[in-house]
Amino acid sequence: MVGEIFHFQQQHWHLLPERAIFWEEEKALILSDLHLGKAAHFRKAGIAVPAGIVQEDLFRLQQLITRYLPVRIIIVGDMFHSRENNEVQYFKIWRQQFAHIIIDLVKGNHDIMPDTVYEQLQIAVHDTLTLRNIHFIHEPCEDNNGYQYTFSGHLHPAFVMHGAGKQRLRLPCFYFGRHCGILPAFGHFTGSASLDPAETEPVFVIAGKSIIRAQ
Amino acid sequence: MQQRSGGWKVINKWLGEKELKPFKFQEDAWKAYLQGKSGIVNAPTGFGKTFSLFLGTVIAWIDAHPKDYTSKTKNGLQLLWVTPLRALAKDLGRAMETALQELGIPWQVGIRSGDTPVALRAAQKKQMPEVLIITPESLHLLLAQKEYPKVFTHMHTVVVDEWHELMGSKRGVMVELALSRLRGLRKEHLKVWGISATIGNLDEALEVLLGPYHNNGIIIRAQLKKKIALKSVIPHEIENYPWAGHLGIKMLPQSLPIINDSQTTLIFTNTRSQSELWYQALLREDPMLAGALALHHGSIDMELRIWVEEALHNGILKAVVCTASLDLGVDFRPVDSVIQVGSPKGVARFLQRAGRSGHQPGAVSKIFFLPTHALELVEAAALKAAMEQDLIESKMPVLLAYDVLLQYLMTLAVSDGFHGSEIWEEVRLTFCFQHITEEDWQWLLAFLTTGGDALASYDEFKKIEREGDFYICRSRMMAMRHRLHIGTIVSDAMLKVKFMSGGYIGVIEEGFISRLQPGDSFTLAGRNLEYVLIKDMTVLVRKSTSKRSIVPSYQGGRIPLSSNLGRMLREKFNEALSRNTKDPELLALQPLFNLQEELSHIPKANELLIEQIQTKDGYHLFVYPFEGRLVHEVMAALLAYRISRIQPITFSIAMNDYGFELLSDQPIPLTLENAKQLFTTENLLWELQTSVNATEMARRKFRDIAVIAGLIFQGYPGKHKANRHLQSSASLLFNVFGDYDPQNLLLKQAFNEAFFYQMEEARLRETLERIAISKIIITSPQRLTPFCFPIKVDSLRDTMTSEKLEDRIKKLIVNG
Repeated sequence: MVGEIFHFQQQHWHLLPERAIFWEEEKALILSDLHLGKAAHFRKAGIAVPAGIVQEDLFRLQQLITRYLPVRIIIVGDMFHSRENNEVQYFKIWRQQFAHIIIDLVKGNHDIMPDTVYEQLQIAVHDTLTLRNIHFIHEPCEDNNGYQYTFSGHLHPAFVMHGAGKQRLRLPCFYFGRHCGILPAFGHFTGSASLDPAETEPVFVIAGKSIIRAQ
Repeated sequence: MQQRSGGWKVINKWLGEKELKPFKFQEDAWKAYLQGKSGIVNAPTGFGKTFSLFLGTVIAWIDAHPKDYTSKTKNGLQLLWVTPLRALAKDLGRAMETALQELGIPWQVGIRSGDTPVALRAAQKKQMPEVLIITPESLHLLLAQKEYPKVFTHMHTVVVDEWHELMGSKRGVMVELALSRLRGLRKEHLKVWGISATIGNLDEALEVLLGPYHNNGIIIRAQLKKKIALKSVIPHEIENYPWAGHLGIKMLPQSLPIINDSQTTLIFTNTRSQSELWYQALLREDPMLAGALALHHGSIDMELRIWVEEALHNGILKAVVCTASLDLGVDFRPVDSVIQVGSPKGVARFLQRAGRSGHQPGAVSKIFFLPTHALELVEAAALKAAMEQDLIESKMPVLLAYDVLLQYLMTLAVSDGFHGSEIWEEVRLTFCFQHITEEDWQWLLAFLTTGGDALASYDEFKKIEREGDFYICRSRMMAMRHRLHIGTIVSDAMLKVKFMSGGYIGVIEEGFISRLQPGDSFTLAGRNLEYVLIKDMTVLVRKSTSKRSIVPSYQGGRIPLSSNLGRMLREKFNEALSRNTKDPELLALQPLFNLQEELSHIPKANELLIEQIQTKDGYHLFVYPFEGRLVHEVMAALLAYRISRIQPITFSIAMNDYGFELLSDQPIPLTLENAKQLFTTENLLWELQTSVNATEMARRKFRDIAVIAGLIFQGYPGKHKANRHLQSSASLLFNVFGDYDPQNLLLKQAFNEAFFYQMEEARLRETLERIAISKIIITSPQRLTPFCFPIKVDSLRDTMTSEKLEDRIKKLIVNG
């Protein structure tokens, strides 16, 4: 896997093809939109999507943890997909391996479980979070909100590239707008939405096992 | 056949009083029916095909109850009449009721469809009418009711109307499955009859209806032919008529004289959006039509559609712009002209539409063909020739539709539950599932009970419970949800369109929006809108000032050319080239052919034309096999794949019914020397599987499959906000199945549908064999030719590449 270190806002951001960012200065992994429990939620309703998606997603996160040894994991919303189900229990067991790591959840529109559940899972829940004047909030803001920079999720962004011979390619991406950056969705059982960034705004696409700066 | 029964005499006397005589095919049908046979009646509309079977059951009834047939009531359901269209049911019911009344038989005729009120359903449950007219979906809903077998205790006859329409579709599979259950309930007491228009494979239609193991089926043909007069509307100035396009608005003024000279005209368009545009444009062109012009298509409110149909009956409309929604059945007597805008793509469909005018027996059906671009005129000439030669397409029956079977099993599970072994035996006797394996069957049952391969320890999958060999769904919530979702007609997911600032505009198909980029403009409900983003199944837009906006044109509206018509088309091009044609269409096109010949070439029947052209877009390669869009799609991908093995190269691919285009950013290494090898049938199957963007094709097929199999939860009617956490797109499901459960049968079905229905492998092979003995002509025109232009402007494109993903991205970044 080949990441890309992006020096931006006086910080070092390791953009990872696993769909996460490692923030060097804070030793933090940043990710968004895991939608844990989504498959179980569907199966409970009689919709037979494959089981095993959650294991893969958490295995990927586990690999990132053992590679970067973060002290905290910041999740920019939609960590869990819906109400409590057995995949949440699976996460609880998984969590015990990394009991020492702080998990900060910035609440997203899907994070609707009662506070006590998050407590049991040792997850600190915030409406927004700010570290070194870098702000985290689930839904992207369009205007300057007074912080140095903001990170969001929610959109599950993808970027479309056009070229000669009417070629077209669409890939999940990291997007850095003027005031707000948007992370790709970490969970595999999630869709994506095409963005239309200005030409001056940096976009990094996830091309299989590598990260490529598209503009 | 002179010993006529008492019932037969009653019928003859009744007809005699009305100064009518039965047609021969009607008497043939009565005779076969009274002998206890099953079968198919093949007759054109307007000749009393309904009575050929309905009166048969009446004769049998009178024969069985000679003394009290005029007084016996509450006899329970006798005759089940399956019809594909709700609109047909009312008319049918009226005709039957009138006949029964005049005959003094106190039978009830009931209608059961999505529109039947709840109170009437309840009354029907208490006392079933003797005749029930029903849609395939409502028939399955009946099977989803508790104690459904009671309904059918006395039933002895099922008639499937418009079987030619149903059998090539998954609705036909629904009929097959329902029939298998009814046969299981009624055994040899059940007679099954179909009514079908002429199709190329009527014998097969009989086999599909009765199952592959029947031995008592008969086909009764009415030797009656409908007279059809086809006239092409030829553009006044062919030189200035557009080379491409699919709307035909430019020809609209020439349709007005036809409308004015006729009592009522049906104007058939190929897509809903086209019908909207035509409706608006007609009103602009001739404001006098206001109030006398109506619109009829599948997205229009049900009530409004019913009003339009009533108005057509009453003759108060001058013209109706419509789509396939008016293809079928009901007789609108005032209709005396039909205008077909753009190619109907097949002989059978064209005949059907023509038959919508001049409904009285013996009347001539008048149909006008209005081309949307110049070359389409050749299709008119081809259609005329095909009609003369009775070249009518076959309908390919659907095989192994696991999605429909899953839905059916759930249907049985929510009513009384089912015994696995019993249903297995019934299902295997249907045409659709005659080759299903025991393994597949077990997989399907597991899919419904355990949700497929699951890590059982903490899995919470719930749907059907299994008790030994007995399967039942005990969740009332799931049962209710299932009943709401019975059916196989999957319309593209409709998304609501709203202004950013709030304010509802209308609905639009997901497939259209997914091809737009934020900032693109499109037209809906007469407004110019700029697409901003999709959120929570809602398209957010703002007013657009852009002068260029896209009118939605849907993939679904693009019907491929049938092979019959394709062959006729090649012959017509040949004829045009010979310059001694008498077809007015071909004569009109002569200037265009001259230009094509001057710039490039017109291929003869034994030639394959390839054009290589360079424009600012890149290097184009156009190939013209005239085999229809579907075959071209696969052939283009195959050719692209074979060229891409010569050198790393990326193509974008476009096609229409005449040919296809490969476009690249680098010169395309195809020469006279290697051309034959590039079109070889060697390694065809293997290369197809690796070359064709089978995954993308299967992904498109999977959408319907996922909905039919109940994987996509569409929410409850009227409760649009609830259950958002259960929403997902079929494409996303397709991805996760591919990644985590590649053995999934529904996934396999999607690939099968892509290969056998879409790719038509057999037809592709025939085409390649034809090319192998053809002469290949490669030209290098200096500018776009009349042939290639319509392909080049097509905006829907596929991609085929042998370059590495990283390399492609880098190139796109540099060039883009």
